Amino acid sequence: MSKGTIDIRGWGAVTTLGWSARESAKNLLSGNVRQADFCTSSHLTNREFKAFEVPSEKNPLDKSWAMMDSAITEAFSRAGLTASEIAESCLLVGTTGGLFIRNEYEFTEIVRQNPGKESPPIACRNRGPGEVADAIAQKYGIKGLAMTFSMACVSSSHALVVAAQLLEQEKFNRAIVVGFEPLLNLTLQGFASLLLYDSEQCRPFCANRSGMQLGEASSCVILERRAVSGQNSKIRYQFAGGYLFNDNNSLTSAGTDGELVKKVVEQSLTNAGVAVRDVVAIKAHGTGTRDNDLSEGRGLAKVFGKHLPPVISLKGAIGHTLGAAGAVETALWISCLEEGMLPRSFGFTQIDPELGFAPSQVNIPAMDGAYLCTFFGFGGTCTSYIIIKNP
Amino acid sequence: MNNKNKIISSIPVVAASYLGPALTPNLDVAWDEAQLPLSPDDLVQKIMGQPLRRAGRFIKLVCCGALVCLKSVPAEDLKGKKIGIFLATGLGNVDEILPFITQVFKEDGGFPSPNQFANSVSNAAAFFLAKVSEIKGVVLTISQEELSFESALWLAQSYLESGDIDLALVGGCDVFTPTVADYRERMDLRPDNHRSMPMGEGSSWLLLGDTSGKKIGNILSVELDYNSKTQQRLSSNENILSECEKIAGRVIGKQNKQKIILPGFRLIDMDHSFFKDKGWKVEDYLPHCGIHPTAIAYGLARAMLSGTSAFFVHCNYHASGRKTLVTAEST
Repeated sequence: MSKGTIDIRGWGAVTTLGWSARESAKNLLSGNVRQADFCTSSHLTNREFKAFEVPSEKNPLDKSWAMMDSAITEAFSRAGLTASEIAESCLLVGTTGGLFIRNEYEFTEIVRQNPGKESPPIACRNRGPGEVADAIAQKYGIKGLAMTFSMACVSSSHALVVAAQLLEQEKFNRAIVVGFEPLLNLTLQGFASLLLYDSEQCRPFCANRSGMQLGEASSCVILERRAVSGQNSKIRYQFAGGYLFNDNNSLTSAGTDGELVKKVVEQSLTNAGVAVRDVVAIKAHGTGTRDNDLSEGRGLAKVFGKHLPPVISLKGAIGHTLGAAGAVETALWISCLEEGMLPRSFGFTQIDPELGFAPSQVNIPAMDGAYLCTFFGFGGTCTSYIIIKNP
Repeated sequence: MNNKNKIISSIPVVAASYLGPALTPNLDVAWDEAQLPLSPDDLVQKIMGQPLRRAGRFIKLVCCGALVCLKSVPAEDLKGKKIGIFLATGLGNVDEILPFITQVFKEDGGFPSPNQFANSVSNAAAFFLAKVSEIKGVVLTISQEELSFESALWLAQSYLESGDIDLALVGGCDVFTPTVADYRERMDLRPDNHRSMPMGEGSSWLLLGDTSGKKIGNILSVELDYNSKTQQRLSSNENILSECEKIAGRVIGKQNKQKIILPGFRLIDMDHSFFKDKGWKVEDYLPHCGIHPTAIAYGLARAMLSGTSAFFVHCNYHASGRKTLVTAEST
């Protein structure tokens, strides 16, 4: 969709691996990665689920706000944004749960503080997904357009592609894209009810994979028109273009023949003006579910044939962060590029004969060039985009 | 641009539909807040020809409202067109989320339904609509509290302008989920920040873009002014009039058209006679749909189908003070 020079001026993230994108990347690259563990957060009622929690001493609600603040502050600081630049920016947020954590936290606190009494029904007090953007805009003084995409797992990846298109159309000069997804009983129990959990480990593209594991995270990515950052800009990373597409065949699958994935990836490469042979590596969606990895793996094989570049899923290390995944994985990926290395793909042990490839199993040098990022979600949603690393 | 996010290029309105709490498409019908929510099953059967048994009210209302709009256009006008869906919702499918989470939190360990969880996912309704209307491609669910519809309209215009789509199906849907007190809290309604009106719900849609067929009007401008401190200005009749006169001057110039203000639910103390004296009619659509986050969609769709040639300004502001102005003309 978007073509033109759009710089990635700043980024930040909080993941289970650290309270900044840089710390997360360093831990990822050094192999300081723990498997998902039983949840400890006070609002999570079922202790049998394993997930990738963000470590914190705060209560779950305060922790969520702190995660968001930390990611935004890191991105603003890295970008060196002035107050007036922040004010004139637009804000696009991708989230599924929004601030629903407030309902869950308050409810569990009432129950905890009233032992032996009958629980009241849980109330839904939050003002919808858009409440997150409103809170961010007010706190940081963002006066540009604020808009929230609530599109399940592609919420913030869609937001990035839409932001790039609007920048290319010169609707505004700078977009602050935020992904936000605290762990919720709602989603943990929901995916469990759909039998999409792997109770042991998240194993993207592995023959033994049997489901996803959730992670919590927050992230912020700042996109800016080159005309604003200046032709002599030293910004190394560009958002070269992308494509979003929504299929209507299946609520839960992108089609296991890989055709839909192929179409979306090819269109994103076309929009970015990048040839298949020029893709250095692929940051895959790789959830570890049977169907997603089959759709994605087959689709990538159809696009790249025998010349499949290194494929890496980050979900074996940070979990599936749902609506935040686009912004979080983009920020973490760029921080890895800054460190000069691409991480290995965690959770893999055995090649799936239906896929015929292994995701990257060692850290490899991060060359300059084009990196393909893919995301697929509930409701037939697909996003794919290209990030360029310049010398 | 920057602090004033606006589009000013005219977008043709090909079709419109409005559905309020009485669940009677394109008609103003009285309803009773105490009786909400009404069952949409008869409406679903009538419009879709089959029950959507596994879907909740939000999904049903999204599909019904949008299909009424789409079906009002001759099929040949849509043939071969790339249509994008822009579903705006302030609160989303709370009607599915609440029963699911209630099961999750049951003391004896409930059995959450996978189907209910699937339907509670934020973009499930847009998926269902895409499926029943056979639309693929750009299908977005946009949420920004009571500015959701204006934001979706703004984005749809950008997509139309880029040429990525030929037509944009833009709708606003929010459903009443008990209780009234909870619903009001979700909308941040306090005694001093909204008009005294019953709560409502709706699913109202516009089909925008250029077809060779007939159009029923134009969206002329969408302005989202995110500078704060506008709340006080908009709560005064003089200032509302001033904003409307300014935007009318910019958008229609000296055209001799009937000028109508559509006041959003945050506008309080509207003195109709004051505006009448200044040459403006106030058309209050809220009594027909009640307060809900995307009520503007009802107001605009109803205006487009009013049958009168007029210039409309919809004014509202967010609880935080952000101002929105949408102008339209019916032809």
